Amino acid sequence: MARRTHVIGVGMTKFQKPGQSDDYHIMASQAARAALSDAGVGFEDVEQVYAGYVFGDSTCGQRAVYELGLRGIPIFNVNNNCATGSTALMLARQAIESGAECVLALGFEKMEKGALGSKWTDRASPVEWHANLMNEVQGFTQAPPTAQMFGGAGREYRWRYGTRRETFAKIAEKARRHAANNPYALFNQPLTVEEILASDEVFDPLTRYQCCPPTCGAAAAVLCSSDFANRRGLSAPIYIAAQVMTTDSPSSFQEKSMIKMVGYDMAKSAARQVYERAGLGPEDVDVVELHDCFTTNELLSYEALGLCPEGGAEKFIWDGDNTYGGKYVINPSGGLLSKGHPLGATGLAQCAELVWQLRGTADKRQVEGARVALQHNLGLGGACVVTMYRRD
Amino acid sequence: MANELRFDGRVAIVTGAGGGLGRAHALLLGARGARVVVNDLGGSRHGEGQSTAAADRVVAEIKALGGEAVPNYDSVEDGAKIVQCALDHFGRIDIVINNAGILRDTSFQKMTEQDWDLIYRVHLLGSYRVTAAAWNPMREAGYGRILFTTSAAGLYGNFGQANYSAAKMGLVGLANTLAIEGRKRGILVNTIAPIAGSRLTETVLPKDLVEALKPEYVSPLVVWLCHESCTETGGLFEVGGGFFSKLRWERTAGYTFKLSRPITPEGVRDRFAVITSFDRTTHPSDITASMQPVLDNLASARGKVGNEFIDVDEALGYEFPPLESSYTERDLALYALGVGAGADPLDEKDLRLVYELNASGFYPLPSFMAAQAVGALVRAAQQGKQAPGLHYGLDRVLHGEQYTEIRRPLPTQAKLVHRMKIKDIFDKGKNALVVTAITTTDESGRELCYNEVTTVVRGAGGWGGERGPSVEVPLPSRPPDAIVEEKTRPDQALLYRLSGDWNPLHADPAFARGFGFERPILHGLCTFGFVTRHVLRSFAGGDPRLLRSIRVRFADSVFPGETLVTEMWQEEPGRILLRCKVKERDRVVLSNAVVELHREPPKEEAPGPAPSAPTELQSADVFAVIADHLQRNPDLVSKVQAVFQWQIKDPDSTWTLDLKNGSGSVTPGAAAAPDVTLTLSEADFIAMTTGQADPQKLYFGGKLKITGNLLAAQKLEFLKKIDPQAALRVIQARRGTGPATASPPASGLRSEAIFRAIAHYLQAHPELPARIQTVFQWKLTEPDSAWVLDVKHGTGRCAPGTAEAPDVTLTLSEADFIAMATGQADPQKLYFSGRLKITGNLLAAQKLDFLKHIDREAAARALQAEQGSGAAQGSVQAPPAGQPAQGCAPAIFRALSERLASNPQLAAEVGALLQFHIQSPEASYLVDLRPGSVGVRPGRDPQAAAVFTLADADLAQLVRDPQVARDLFQRGRLRVDGDVLLAHRLGFLKNLG
Repeated sequence: MARRTHVIGVGMTKFQKPGQSDDYHIMASQAARAALSDAGVGFEDVEQVYAGYVFGDSTCGQRAVYELGLRGIPIFNVNNNCATGSTALMLARQAIESGAECVLALGFEKMEKGALGSKWTDRASPVEWHANLMNEVQGFTQAPPTAQMFGGAGREYRWRYGTRRETFAKIAEKARRHAANNPYALFNQPLTVEEILASDEVFDPLTRYQCCPPTCGAAAAVLCSSDFANRRGLSAPIYIAAQVMTTDSPSSFQEKSMIKMVGYDMAKSAARQVYERAGLGPEDVDVVELHDCFTTNELLSYEALGLCPEGGAEKFIWDGDNTYGGKYVINPSGGLLSKGHPLGATGLAQCAELVWQLRGTADKRQVEGARVALQHNLGLGGACVVTMYRRD
Repeated sequence: MANELRFDGRVAIVTGAGGGLGRAHALLLGARGARVVVNDLGGSRHGEGQSTAAADRVVAEIKALGGEAVPNYDSVEDGAKIVQCALDHFGRIDIVINNAGILRDTSFQKMTEQDWDLIYRVHLLGSYRVTAAAWNPMREAGYGRILFTTSAAGLYGNFGQANYSAAKMGLVGLANTLAIEGRKRGILVNTIAPIAGSRLTETVLPKDLVEALKPEYVSPLVVWLCHESCTETGGLFEVGGGFFSKLRWERTAGYTFKLSRPITPEGVRDRFAVITSFDRTTHPSDITASMQPVLDNLASARGKVGNEFIDVDEALGYEFPPLESSYTERDLALYALGVGAGADPLDEKDLRLVYELNASGFYPLPSFMAAQAVGALVRAAQQGKQAPGLHYGLDRVLHGEQYTEIRRPLPTQAKLVHRMKIKDIFDKGKNALVVTAITTTDESGRELCYNEVTTVVRGAGGWGGERGPSVEVPLPSRPPDAIVEEKTRPDQALLYRLSGDWNPLHADPAFARGFGFERPILHGLCTFGFVTRHVLRSFAGGDPRLLRSIRVRFADSVFPGETLVTEMWQEEPGRILLRCKVKERDRVVLSNAVVELHREPPKEEAPGPAPSAPTELQSADVFAVIADHLQRNPDLVSKVQAVFQWQIKDPDSTWTLDLKNGSGSVTPGAAAAPDVTLTLSEADFIAMTTGQADPQKLYFGGKLKITGNLLAAQKLEFLKKIDPQAALRVIQARRGTGPATASPPASGLRSEAIFRAIAHYLQAHPELPARIQTVFQWKLTEPDSAWVLDVKHGTGRCAPGTAEAPDVTLTLSEADFIAMATGQADPQKLYFSGRLKITGNLLAAQKLDFLKHIDREAAARALQAEQGSGAAQGSVQAPPAGQPAQGCAPAIFRALSERLASNPQLAAEVGALLQFHIQSPEASYLVDLRPGSVGVRPGRDPQAAAVFTLADADLAQLVRDPQVARDLFQRGRLRVDGDVLLAHRLGFLKNLG
């Protein structure tokens, strides 16, 4: 049995629009200080740092952490597209399991305005196979490439189950409603389903308000072993019950399916393994932070994570089983759609929200009596990290 | 060696020539024909003892080489003896090489006066004495070459060599002046700082380094400097170990304090960083250059200075931070009203200034730009932004003169940036004049206008400064060529101030009394605006665009309600002199006034109307345009980072567009390593690059094949940014030079195609006339044609010709019409930029919005079809029903209707009301498959369980194989609103039509 990994401190910055944030090292050091202070430990207690970001030259992690002090400790820079934050978290957990006592997982992103695009055009694109599959299935347009991919997956789902456009819009409406109570979120203004449907069409069925915005921000988590917590007399009720990362399997490309291409099987497989290792099923989960980069992906993720039967997402949504009063509260933070999606920070911001929920300190967003939390963080290219947290 | 530097006939003295550097110099000179006096005292390196052996040995060496030499054993302190030796033996002296030297190294603390004195005597006094003895013979001969030997220890300092360093730098000074004094007499003087291992340096340098620094590496420079063909003088060189270099003085640009003010230690401290910064430097080479900054400072101090109100030195040349302002049509109209326009609301010329929908155009009154610029200046002052050195309040200031120059056609709305600079400050005795130059640019940085605002600062003159130019414009003695008399309104100032000059002097009676006026006075710039109108009216036909510049002097105040009389003389065409008086008081209020006019409205350089049909474009033309575009947009390469190879068919050609390497290139032929290869016909290529075809559509339609990196193909988006005007220019250039390859198609074809599309649209929407209720008369120009679009009577009509009773007439160029109809130009913008003229019922024109619903693709396709056939000339008929242009939908749905009637079971399988919204051409059909009401009819119904939106061509495909519905849906070509699952059940369409 592996050593138990506790999450003893979390912190994040208020997420901002590109151009309105501090530079990455400032955001990152703020989030790290908040997490350390939350944990009740000092930077001098940290043995290693895993620093995640997608956009920036090499060793931005050091630059950010140096704001806290120059201690000569190992700092690992982590990049795994949109799953970067939870990848850093996973490496930090593995460090604890391998004998480290106290590790900092840090994620940050300073993004540019506009849709995600490729920065390196003189070499093979990491999503080349994904793009080629998409082109085969549906061609390409001038819409943002990720919107074409996740929107195309939505089209495929609609075709199969006849899903109404309103159903997708309801997810965005819920995200805004949840975010209204989250001071860290980028968008606090609620929107109606009508407003969401009436916003500019990006790639049918996606309208503008159904796409997560480019965002700047940082989040951090302090992880430690049981020994460390005991020795230091720290309260450490929250721990990682199970965590699994998956990458693409042949099904992502062989089945000519947009749904598969955008990571459905990665999520499904990771979730199944997490449930097995934790000895708990989806029915035991109280609160979920999942990767709603687009409304279509939130809907697909309900099914991939086993929160509802395949083909049952529309009913699940209209029954209100994804919000307060339903079976689960999904994305109480507002999710990527409303809280924002700074690529490197997202996985750790999800972690922060779930830790707050399990501690019972989530204020107006609090899910009553939450004891089991599930996190799903997905990157095209691809990687999917599913994490289950419990509290003693 | 053919061009060997020879010294035959020359006589040289080399001091300290018994060894080291001196010996090397002597040997080299001797070897090249010089007769050499080999001087050496034969002492130790510390100057002790004496022996003849050293000099004798070198003389023997020279003789062994076939040269001529005599030894001399005198001390350099007896320099005259050495020179006498040369004269005695050889009868002349041409070259003196001061090389002898000794060392007495010790730290300054331990140094005795004897140490100091000995070193001084051998190096500095010795060099002086030898040189002094040779000087007169050289002067008399009009020829001499003198060389001094200094040292890095002197140039840079060296521990333990204070005496030596001082003596060595003494030589540099000596050489500098001798170079000046000797120049006229042919005596050239240079100095070397050798880096060499010699007797002297053995003690201070490591042995291996001394070995590397052979004296033989120094002598070649010495010998060259002493040659008759070398004209260098006053030079200072570092030389040794193979390194040759010349030194000079470098001086920081420094900081110059004005002499009119105290110069304090604190001032020096505060500027010390500037004083010591080598960011900007000079290299003074003589004492005049050294003095130059001081001379400049003296010159600049003359006549400036200022007083407690104005510090001329500080203020002059000051540039304010840029200020912004903006205006819209409303501001222009309000301003024009404020300067009297529109007093006669039926006056066409004035309506141009105040009515933005005016039939003959709406233009800014150019004097408005003066108000904008001065407004910015006043705003800056109100915010306390004053130039440093100007210490007076607004209460002292009067607007003295105004000069306004329009540099570009003025837009009817703009965001402006004003850059202001204190251009001149003059001392008029009692008053001062401050001239502020204001350059105004639009958002894109283009200069719209330049203003000079001369302010009179009352009581601020008298510091004895420059009076400045006094330009008086004499008026002709003949009666004025034109006079305009216009009465201002009693509330004129209250109206004018709304354009931005809020000074209470023009509104507040008490405030005005405080300034000694019986009541508020009119703004000077308001009178300026009136006068501008008067000149334009009298000499420019009321066209505001013709104003080039206007200059006036504000001579006296005007009270609102008084009558302005503007007297104008046309001095030469386009140049008007004028004067403005107040009639009631017969006082000149504006004098010294000159207006310059254009003969015709200047053209904006920006792209004009859209190009006319580029029907004879060839691929090569387009690639030329792309190359041109690439040159203008060098950042494309970093953005796109891909090499595109184009395989053009019909006719075939291959092109490479490299947007990856270097600054990018466009070349005929194949690429070595294309990232993506695009294959398409020339016609499609041209359509794509002229914005008439969408790359995606071509791709899906199978007309564009893409191999390689598909993602790279997405970056072709930049092609849409290529200026269509540029394509036109290229063709025109080709037409001009080469033989016409094809005669251009008959004009009118393109607009005809659009009107056909409109006719189709009318057919498909018989309900339109009831809603629009308007007859539009179109008058197209370039080339001219006339069309009637009747959306009022019956089911509407679109035909060439003129209407009997149009509700509204729209006049615009064919190119603009096409741009508008294909969605590339906005009617509003065309209208406001004056390119679309509307007469008649303006409100009716607003109904043109329905044009936006006309399928642009259909219009573009119609256009292409016309170009392709090039046949349909002459009169145009509304196309008969059933032509392909109507699409296949009618036939399909007619057939469906028949099929449903004969096979009711088909409907039962679906059981829902479906709506098909067909595009290109547009049509809507309801397919009712509900029990009891089965049937097909045109129209729409909000009750439809599903609405399928797709193109006519895709409907045809769907009918051939309903299974493609899924693919069309996934690709976004079939849009389903409502129940998507109904799209699975379109089998009833199979093989219809």
